[in-house]
Amino acid sequence: MNNIITVSSLKKSYGSKVVLDGVDFTAPAGQIIGLLGPNGCGKTTLIKILTGLIKDHSGTVRIDNEEPGAYTKGIVAYLPEKSYLPDWMRPVDAIDYFSSFYKDFDKAKAEEMVVKFGLDSKQKLKTMSKGQQEKLNLILVMCRQARLYVLDEPLGGVDPAARSAILDLIMNNYAKDATVLLSTHLINDVEYIFDRVLMISGGKLIVDSHIDEIRQKGKSVEDVFKEVFSYVW
Amino acid sequence: MFGKLLKYEIKHSSRYVLSIYICAAAAAAFMLLGMLAKVTWISVLGSIVLYTVGFAVVIMTLVSVIKNFYDSLYGAQGYLSFTLPVKCSSLLFSKVVVSFFWIILSCVALALMFVLIFLNAKAQSGSSFTGIYDAMKISGILDMLPSGAMIVKFLIIMGVLALLNILVFVGFVYFAVTLANTRALQKHPKLFGFLIFAGTYGFSNSLSAKLTTSIPLSVEITTEKVSIVFSSMDSAGQALASFGIAGTIFMALVATGLLVATGWIMEHKVNIK
Repeated sequence: MNNIITVSSLKKSYGSKVVLDGVDFTAPAGQIIGLLGPNGCGKTTLIKILTGLIKDHSGTVRIDNEEPGAYTKGIVAYLPEKSYLPDWMRPVDAIDYFSSFYKDFDKAKAEEMVVKFGLDSKQKLKTMSKGQQEKLNLILVMCRQARLYVLDEPLGGVDPAARSAILDLIMNNYAKDATVLLSTHLINDVEYIFDRVLMISGGKLIVDSHIDEIRQKGKSVEDVFKEVFSYVW
Repeated sequence: MFGKLLKYEIKHSSRYVLSIYICAAAAAAFMLLGMLAKVTWISVLGSIVLYTVGFAVVIMTLVSVIKNFYDSLYGAQGYLSFTLPVKCSSLLFSKVVVSFFWIILSCVALALMFVLIFLNAKAQSGSSFTGIYDAMKISGILDMLPSGAMIVKFLIIMGVLALLNILVFVGFVYFAVTLANTRALQKHPKLFGFLIFAGTYGFSNSLSAKLTTSIPLSVEITTEKVSIVFSSMDSAGQALASFGIAGTIFMALVATGLLVATGWIMEHKVNIK
């Protein structure tokens, strides 16, 4: 089976600070992968490299055997940490925008989900709450039939009830043969959805385990996380 | 896909410039109201406001072009723009085309405002166009005016020069903003953007001036003809307009080169914060 993600000897520094230091991994289609690590460990930098938002790195990155570029952006659905839609847009404009550029975008489904999640399709983003904007961003991403979903901290800053709704939205809507790469530091809430976890520390990938391997040892992902990152505290 | 980029670029950038056009339209309406109602102080005040707004339209459009470019690529919206399934060169080219569109539209609006101010002044002085024409004919001024064909030539050359100047503005600004948003400089993108623009534009302009002097070949437009003269200046001092060929071509080439460099940086060195 072809790997949807291939990362080899990936290095990235910000000045003298090394953020990623020789990261290697591959990801086949159909896995839900947790990208875990404490704040500032390089998760977002890795995600930005995968999505083509950072290009000045060394090493090799391939998405479906291609360098991040116009083709890969057409098959990757990316949810960034921050709200990125222009504030004049309304949900109806954002849906129109996504449907114009992404061939895999399901416009009818997005319109239906906007109603289902209680958003006003004619309300401008600048008058929406942060939570409403996050909902809309997630709807836009999950209404794509992408080959790879890259979700950067989709659970950050929301209450436990909203976390559950967000996870349901993700699990019920991603294309089933696709790969999901989800970064988070809220492991307890999400570990049940993962097939595999990657943990980054000091710029290196220090854990790359299938969830079954972890469970066979009688541990949870959170236990492993605490063992690995106990030094942080 | 390029058509869609253009559509959304116009839609997005119009948010920045529409309010300026609305101000201009309001000022024009105010002045016309004074003209129609024959209230002198309103139409005089309207002319002054329209004159001010006219220049503000052009300046605000240039500022909007810069702000829209920065916000949509290197602000939070960069996450959206740079993850669209299009090449960076297409993204850049769509922004260049739409910038040309807005700047040209603003210059046309400025010209229309001047026509309105002129008409208002005529209405205030009470002179009719036939009266002005007759007076010009009697005094011989009409004979000194260039022919219709010359006016067309003049407008075409000035139009091309205006396009080259827009190219120079867009090329230098986009390059400066993009370079200032690469890893080494992006801690202070506005400061570095300004310094890069001032440095590259100042240096290129001084080289352009030297080229114009050392290669004395100019286009000279008089009321009678357009000619290429072997001089770096308006030799006879009677030209309607003149410009050095070497310097103008040099600036256009540098601006084009900077746009190509901007596309390359966006493709290979981008680092969205």
